[in-house]
Amino acid sequence: MTSTAQDLHPAPTLAPGRTILELNGLEKRYPGTHALKPVHLAFKAGEIHAIVGENGAGKSTLIKLLTGVMPRTSGEVIWEGKPAALATPHEAMALGINAVHQEVVLCRHLTVAANMFLGEEESRFGLLQQRAMVKEAQKIIDGLGFDLPAHVVLGDLTIGQQQLIAAARATVRGTKFLIFDEPTAYLTRKEADQLFKLIRRLKGDGVTIIYISHRMEEVFELADRVSVLRDGTLVGTRDIAETDEPELVKLMINRSIEQIYHKEHFTPGARIVETKNLSGKGFENVSVTVRAGEIVGLYGLIGAGRSEFVTTLYGRHRKSAGQILWEGKEVQVNSEHDAIRLGMALAPESRRDQGLCLNLPVGINLNLPIYKRISSNFLISGAKEKTEADRQIADLRIKTPTRNALASSLSGGNQQKIVIGKWLAHGAKLFIFDEPTVGVDVGTKAEIYRLFSTLLSKGAGIILISSYLPEVYELADTLHVFRRGKLVATHGFRTASHEDILGQALAEKQEKSGGQK
Amino acid sequence: MSTEAIPAEKPKRNFNALFGLTLLGLLVLMWIVLAVATPSFATALNITNLLRQGSLIAILAVGQTFVIITGGIDLSVGAIVGFTTVIVALLINAGWPIWVAVLVTLLVGVAIGLFHGFGIVKMGLPPFIITLATMTSLRGIGLLMTNGNSISINSDSFQAFSRGSLAGIPYLFWMVILVAVPSYIFLHHTRWGRYLFSVGSNAEAARLSGVNVPRTIYMAYVLSGLLAAFVGVLLASRIGIGNPTQGDTYELQAIASSVIGGTSLFGAIGSVHGPLIGSFILSTINNGANLLNVNTFWQRVITGALIIVIVYFDGLRRRGK
Ligand SMILES: Nc1ncnc2c1ncn2[C@@H]1O[C@H](COP(=O)(O)OP(=O)(O)OP(=O)(O)O)[C@@H](O)[C@H]1O
Ligand SMILES: [Mg+2]
Repeated sequence: MTSTAQDLHPAPTLAPGRTILELNGLEKRYPGTHALKPVHLAFKAGEIHAIVGENGAGKSTLIKLLTGVMPRTSGEVIWEGKPAALATPHEAMALGINAVHQEVVLCRHLTVAANMFLGEEESRFGLLQQRAMVKEAQKIIDGLGFDLPAHVVLGDLTIGQQQLIAAARATVRGTKFLIFDEPTAYLTRKEADQLFKLIRRLKGDGVTIIYISHRMEEVFELADRVSVLRDGTLVGTRDIAETDEPELVKLMINRSIEQIYHKEHFTPGARIVETKNLSGKGFENVSVTVRAGEIVGLYGLIGAGRSEFVTTLYGRHRKSAGQILWEGKEVQVNSEHDAIRLGMALAPESRRDQGLCLNLPVGINLNLPIYKRISSNFLISGAKEKTEADRQIADLRIKTPTRNALASSLSGGNQQKIVIGKWLAHGAKLFIFDEPTVGVDVGTKAEIYRLFSTLLSKGAGIILISSYLPEVYELADTLHVFRRGKLVATHGFRTASHEDILGQALAEKQEKSGGQK
Repeated sequence: MSTEAIPAEKPKRNFNALFGLTLLGLLVLMWIVLAVATPSFATALNITNLLRQGSLIAILAVGQTFVIITGGIDLSVGAIVGFTTVIVALLINAGWPIWVAVLVTLLVGVAIGLFHGFGIVKMGLPPFIITLATMTSLRGIGLLMTNGNSISINSDSFQAFSRGSLAGIPYLFWMVILVAVPSYIFLHHTRWGRYLFSVGSNAEAARLSGVNVPRTIYMAYVLSGLLAAFVGVLLASRIGIGNPTQGDTYELQAIASSVIGGTSLFGAIGSVHGPLIGSFILSTINNGANLLNVNTFWQRVITGALIIVIVYFDGLRRRGK
């Protein structure tokens, strides 16, 4: 293990504790947004420095400036005592600054090995040493303890696995300074653990690490120091031992939240939807009931078949067996259109691929499902379009200059709010939320959970898919655990322990340890 | 313990090879059927003729594939072919040594490719638009230069080249091999080939990895322009004239060959052998239809229909995987 670790990167030159990188009034303006107001901050060699802040606070912007992805508006970056221009990604990499970006930015069509060495291929006489690279990539992946093959095409892996590859890739490039921008958003618990191990080992090797996350427990688990950004301003830096979660949250959103997981219990009403032994691609024999006023949580690892189950319910894929009952009557859902007409709404998991039209304005994205309602005689009512969009933007506190800004210009978390927001006005009976709070900040999470309650109080039912256990645990009235395409256990509201549920989601041997229905 | 088992699939490369084989199978099948159905197909004369016909489009298709892999398109190659027949004819008639004339003509192709790269990278024009513009204006420039006349080339040795053979195989087909082998190595075994794929797959990811995306785009269009100019030289040798209206619809045949050969118009998927086979499938269809005395108007209809069928089944096979 240690020998591989040394292969991975040269020993960093600075003694631990010295300043390796310093931001001197670093500033960034986008047209219409002052994303980063002059920031002064020094990173010490060998530390894990967490950065937290609300969606749109400027975290990713800071990273983009440091990695040469975007030019800064003004200010200085001092690297090992010397000013650095950081004009191109190439230059940042040459210095030893690397990043694992918020959205996986790798080439889906290339193999894992090709991605790991993209831009730094080994070649001899101009010819790629493909076999050697695959072997080397495999060695690195194995050395990191990731159980992944190097020769497969990247697109065949789950998003979480791709994210691990992105992390592995960042470590092979003579890295001295490594930035993780919400790396665990798409990871399963086990993958996250592997990643944390990797981060700790890098720290042991003297690499300086910036860790961005919305998950407070991760910050407290990993970081030595934490800095808080609010609205592009650095509002504080603390040693981790000297702070606690409420203080950080207060710094972040400038107010305190008593309770993130807002939960109201309603007496369940009539059955909205019921599946009977539903089977399809990626799952089999799933029987689930959702009644008015309840949240049904689906927990499992990424790839356990939950998304396939709901997309089949939603008419996206064909079922291979079983029945779907809608309000007690058997129905055939052959297309998304059928599903929407019945009264279903689905907020999908992958916002970039499924949830958003990135190059359309925020307003159009928000109104897309309801254009029928805000039009009369084929013509869209401009006024309604405007008020509906603005209401959503205000309700969800979507951070955007106007509703006419392109969705692609929003921060990751704010894009996620659009994916959720566009269904809220739709007035469906059954809402399916697939990983609704990936990358969403604490304040907004609380906001979204409160919206869940509003929906329930109006008589809707909710299917909530999450790979983040606390979320389903604290919110679901009925919690189903999926493993490898099967529903393996069912629990009531907070009736099982975290450990039991995790065990059921992972277990290979302890089959049927939960109370199967 | 692996929670999400990845099927231990072999890399896509093997799949590509297999797909190449099935297309090759289709090609061979067509040959067998034609050999049985018509007495004149399997004659040395017809086969060399077929190889000559297919060669030009095959070379264009390889260049086109480089561009399509980056997610672009090059509509200008047919016009470049016509234009460069004029250039090489003028230069040879002006008494330049043949090799110099050819070299300069190839450089003209490179220059056109650079111009496309410039339009896309620096001016931000979509590839479709910039190459469409070149497609029409190059023919216009050629017509202006020749006053709309053909220029007959007064060099026998230049024309002899296209008629000659080596080891029973026409020189023109040897030229396909001359282009295909380095292209294959370039595309699959050098980093520049890898960068073409990476730009087509995710340009942002490529950029963040330190890949010089603009340079990669320049490279794709330069290669396409260069190969088109090369085809222009070969065509001039074959027909013995320079005429800017030559090479009509070659760009469409090149694109069709590439797509039949498994190239994805969305970028990031493609090979060298696929387009080669694709182009010979197309020319076999034409050749066979001629031999079978199919009305030439119908030939066009059949070609169109076959393109749909082949690409549809290719898509099915991919999805079925
Ligand atoms: N390319 C761009 N053009 C215009 N505005 C942008 C662009 N990228 C980001 N912004 C704006 O800059 C601000 C900061 O965005 P940034 O992505 O840094 O936020 P963040 O802190 O990473 O948020 P999140 O937690 O949601 O990822 C946001 O208001 C965003 O809308
Ligand atoms: Mg961000």
